Amino acid sequence: MAGEKAEKPDTKEKKPEAKKADAGNKAKKVKMVKKVKKGKPHCSRNPVLVRGIGRYSRSPDSRKVLKHARKLRASITPGTVLIILPGRHGGKRVVFLKQLGSGLLLVSGPLSLNRVPLRRTHQKFVIATSTKIDISGVKIPEHLTDTYFKKKKLHKPRHQEGEIFHTEREKYEITEQRKVDQKAVDSQMLRRIKAAPLFQGYLRSMFALTDGIYPHKVVF
Amino acid sequence: MSGRLCSKAIFAGYKQGLRNQREHNSLLKIEGVYVRDETEFYLGKRCVSVYKAKTNTVTPGGKPNKTRVIWGKITRTHGNNGMVCAKFQGHWTQNPCDTLPFEDL
Repeated sequence: MAGEKAEKPDTKEKKPEAKKADAGNKAKKVKMVKKVKKGKPHCSRNPVLVRGIGRYSRSPDSRKVLKHARKLRASITPGTVLIILPGRHGGKRVVFLKQLGSGLLLVSGPLSLNRVPLRRTHQKFVIATSTKIDISGVKIPEHLTDTYFKKKKLHKPRHQEGEIFHTEREKYEITEQRKVDQKAVDSQMLRRIKAAPLFQGYLRSMFALTDGIYPHKVVF
Repeated sequence: MSGRLCSKAIFAGYKQGLRNQREHNSLLKIEGVYVRDETEFYLGKRCVSVYKAKTNTVTPGGKPNKTRVIWGKITRTHGNNGMVCAKFQGHWTQNPCDTLPFEDL
């Protein structure tokens, strides 16, 4: 939440150290998108990474990371339209709902407009536009927290007859709970979106750079 | 100018003195950026050199294909005309005319 007081400086020093160690561990992989850290957001094949959650080491220092003040860019307020950059939803315009405890942003397409569900994204991988919807009246269910969105580990079946490689994994299935929550939030949002002119089409469209459009010159 | 969410740039050479070049440091010319003030947006952004090779390699989020990448980062400006320095994870290995780096937004 914006406005929290900053933590003691020594805890912040731990964080960059942790990141450097992690970088050393991850060898150069071909086509590696970004450094992978634990605590990935919801979506099975999402290269969007989570920074700021810190590693789940057993050392007492790691808990300090969880207490870090989470900053939010001034340009991102509830109701802002964000452009998601990396991942399967890259280029999609999406409505920002709130910042979760870990610092990640809770975001929703809404699903019916651009197939982006209730989802977490990271501030760094998002462009904030100046377009905003008023979602002050939208009630976001309390149980939508980081643990709710945390990626479930899909278990590889252990005993396979025959094939050792290419074993079938449990596929990710959308739980009923998610569908219910999605509907609950989206229905409130859609009412407001439809009230504003051209908004539906705007959220439906994707952001892309084309000839002559240079990001440093674009006013978002 | 770009594919989708990246800007294009041209690899213009290595950072060099008069007679020695430093291959760990590349110079890029980003499309549309021709003035030093405009480069500020791009500093710190990631850049990637995309090239193709003979054999298939793993692609995150997709099937193995022949495309390969070298990731890098834009480190600083270079000169007054919008050139930019970048450091790639390996040395830049392709011929300047062959491949173009992309800048992630």
